[in-house]
Amino acid sequence: MRPAVIPPQRRVREETGWAERRALRLPADRQLSIAIGQIPFTLHFSEDHLLDKAGQRYARFRCCDGKALPIFLGSDPSPLPDAIRFAYALDDASVRLGSDAAHFRGVRHEYALDSLIRVLLSVLLLPRRGFLLHAATVVREGRAYVFTGRSGAGKSTVASLSPPGSVLTDEISLLRFSEDAWHAHGTPFWGEFRAEGANRKVPVAGIYSLVQAPEDRVEQLSAKEALRALLPNILFFASSKPETEALLSVLSAAAEKVPVYRLYFRRHAGFWEVISA
Amino acid sequence: MTEPRLVHNPLLAWRAIEGEVVIISPEDSVVHELNATASFVWMQANGERTPEEIAVLLAAEYEVAPEEALADTRELVAHLEAKRLLLSSPAAEGSRHG
Repeated sequence: MRPAVIPPQRRVREETGWAERRALRLPADRQLSIAIGQIPFTLHFSEDHLLDKAGQRYARFRCCDGKALPIFLGSDPSPLPDAIRFAYALDDASVRLGSDAAHFRGVRHEYALDSLIRVLLSVLLLPRRGFLLHAATVVREGRAYVFTGRSGAGKSTVASLSPPGSVLTDEISLLRFSEDAWHAHGTPFWGEFRAEGANRKVPVAGIYSLVQAPEDRVEQLSAKEALRALLPNILFFASSKPETEALLSVLSAAAEKVPVYRLYFRRHAGFWEVISA
Repeated sequence: MTEPRLVHNPLLAWRAIEGEVVIISPEDSVVHELNATASFVWMQANGERTPEEIAVLLAAEYEVAPEEALADTRELVAHLEAKRLLLSSPAAEGSRHG
């Protein structure tokens, strides 16, 4: 019995897997270009429903696709065609970063996509003098106030006690040094407050490490104390020495340049008075 | 018996800020924060100095008695070695014996 004839293009794709699909390119309408923290990347989707969800979730972060890093989503088992710079697995999903592209596997819903983008961003930001911090950021009079702390520290409370439209993010803040100053960038990563995130950057006024207390007061930290306050709240997934050294370098620079405080607060809006004092 | 030279565990990332050292183990993300004295010992552990030699420097830096500095240094080194932050340099130790 003669074997069924396989169309040439299909045969090529079966033999060479993901690498060939990359060369063939997915339809343009299955691509979504966004920039977070001024880092552009283009998501190449293999499933329409995820593209739709991502399109809604990152609507405010869409951008041009000039020199964007391509990110390919799929479950193809073939390896990346070039050396892997970074790899990380998160439950059933994983991210691998090569020299000119990244590949996400096992992304079944927009929340997994969100998580993998955060993981990837944490690596991409380092050489650009930036980092992700568990923090809510509120903009007042054109300056960003960054409130950091672990889960339950009061980030969402701070966001909920701030004027409408002033919250840049209530969960994960992106800080980056550019134009001779540290800036807070809006992110699409939100928490309980459900703010959708504004896509803009604002000069940082200060970072406040949250401590619940019976009174409102602030205490400025030295650079070494600031580094110690920041470290537990950093989103960092790399396990290599060079990347860890890069993180320490970036954080030390931030700790030396940005005023960092410990904010003792009572979970009510009165804390703004001690910040402004 | 000659004491070995002390060297940083090469797997670790570290940084000194305002005279105090923060060390991160990339493999498990554990952060170690050293106080001023431990930071001083860490900074002197360059693979060429023994604990005795570091104690001499510590005594001069902090103006303490040599025997007190040596006791403190040995205690600190034992602690840092137990946590695998500092290692005894076998190559340097071997070359001394040779």
